[in-house]
Amino acid sequence: MAAQRLECELVTDAKLSATIASEFGAQNGIPEKAWPHLATSILAKLGVQQHLVISSIGSELLLRNIPGMLRAHVVAPEARRLGNIMLDRRLERAEAKRQLREMEKETALTRKKRFGRAGSRVQSFDLVMNAEGLATEQMSDVLDSAVRAKGLLEAGLLTAAAEAQIQFQVRLKLARYGIVPPDRLQVRHKEFGHPSEEVFANLLDFYRIAWDYEPRSFPLQWDKDGKVQEAFTPDFYLPEFDMYVELTTMKQAHVTKKNRKIRLLRAIYPHVNIQVFYQKDVQDLVIKYGLPERLAQ
Amino acid sequence: MSEPAIERILFSAEQIDQRIREVAAEISAKYAGREVKLIAVLKGSVFFLTALVRELSVPVKVDFLAVSRFANQKGAPGMVRIAKDLDDSIEGEDVILVEDIVDTGFTTRYLLQHLAAREPNSLAICTLLDRTPRRIVRVPIDYRCFEIPDRFVVGFGLDYKQLYRNLKYVAALNLEAPGPGA
Repeated sequence: MAAQRLECELVTDAKLSATIASEFGAQNGIPEKAWPHLATSILAKLGVQQHLVISSIGSELLLRNIPGMLRAHVVAPEARRLGNIMLDRRLERAEAKRQLREMEKETALTRKKRFGRAGSRVQSFDLVMNAEGLATEQMSDVLDSAVRAKGLLEAGLLTAAAEAQIQFQVRLKLARYGIVPPDRLQVRHKEFGHPSEEVFANLLDFYRIAWDYEPRSFPLQWDKDGKVQEAFTPDFYLPEFDMYVELTTMKQAHVTKKNRKIRLLRAIYPHVNIQVFYQKDVQDLVIKYGLPERLAQ
Repeated sequence: MSEPAIERILFSAEQIDQRIREVAAEISAKYAGREVKLIAVLKGSVFFLTALVRELSVPVKVDFLAVSRFANQKGAPGMVRIAKDLDDSIEGEDVILVEDIVDTGFTTRYLLQHLAAREPNSLAICTLLDRTPRRIVRVPIDYRCFEIPDRFVVGFGLDYKQLYRNLKYVAALNLEAPGPGA
């Protein structure tokens, strides 16, 4: 929510781990102690190109010498955390409590492996908020004010010189583990192919649902040498639900072609969940949410 | 723009009454010996709620919630929030969220998260209509009256531009064809 409000790129623990895996190879071969350095290297590369909101275990301990950071921590009463688990996993309170303990243990273990200590210290943060007394919207307001008060957006992005210095130090640290950071990092920019995609993205943001735009292409046909001849890239991926969403707002001839691709996708990748929204569905959403009707065209 | 026309009736008033009685019997059996709180989402669910509570045989309380609209007057998306909160606490209560329709599941998920944080003893969902072809968020539906196809529907609380809520039946609306008043 804060990322959307501040128009920053959200970097989650999952996204960071996935980028580490893709940029540095399989995670199994990377020692956990190297994780903070790998993460620092990636965040520094991203920080030159855009403002970031980082939501990752122990992220307050990353980039500690960089002034343009605001470190915020949100605590929530057990009742709220339990409620979320009960709901997400359809559990009775007792089982939810057991699973919450497991999750807490796992987080502490990850933190210990990565940073050498199981818990976080309040002194590591500039701002600590309690969800018991503050609604999500209010916390977002506070974050927004704090970011603006510190002048983080006006101060601009991480400079190339600062990044070079960070990368130099990271290289020295990673050399111990025999890891060499890549020179260039592929960063995706969100450029929507159709206005309806932007509306759909806004709708997901409205409901605070995390999404990625066209994060993956699925090969559908190969030639005899194994070279991909046809692929399909769904518009959205919703990591929380492990679901892809494709919006189709085009002429019937194109819809038929796209339906064929989706049928192939389902046949070749039966475990991939994909939901298709046709023009009529998009039109219904436009009416339901009171959006400008030109978007359904 | 011309007004759309009612294409066909999907569920008649009699079918709706009958199905509501059946679902109410299920709920009454499940919550026998307990008190249940039904929470309806304004505005569409009110029609279903009032019909449902009249058929319940267990002690029942009602409360209402409303969520903010997606776009403000300038058309800019905001962030979902509770526009009208519950009047009373639900801590320790057996709660059923009453919906007119579960579609993508976006709103229902948000409301469930909101309610679950209030420490109810249990939380269930009851919906008049369940449009599974559009589902994106997997929300656990405990009681449903009807599953519907991928059509735009109105009536029995469901609207098109705030109209048609008063119909006693549920009908598919043809958004392409102009209605008699067009």
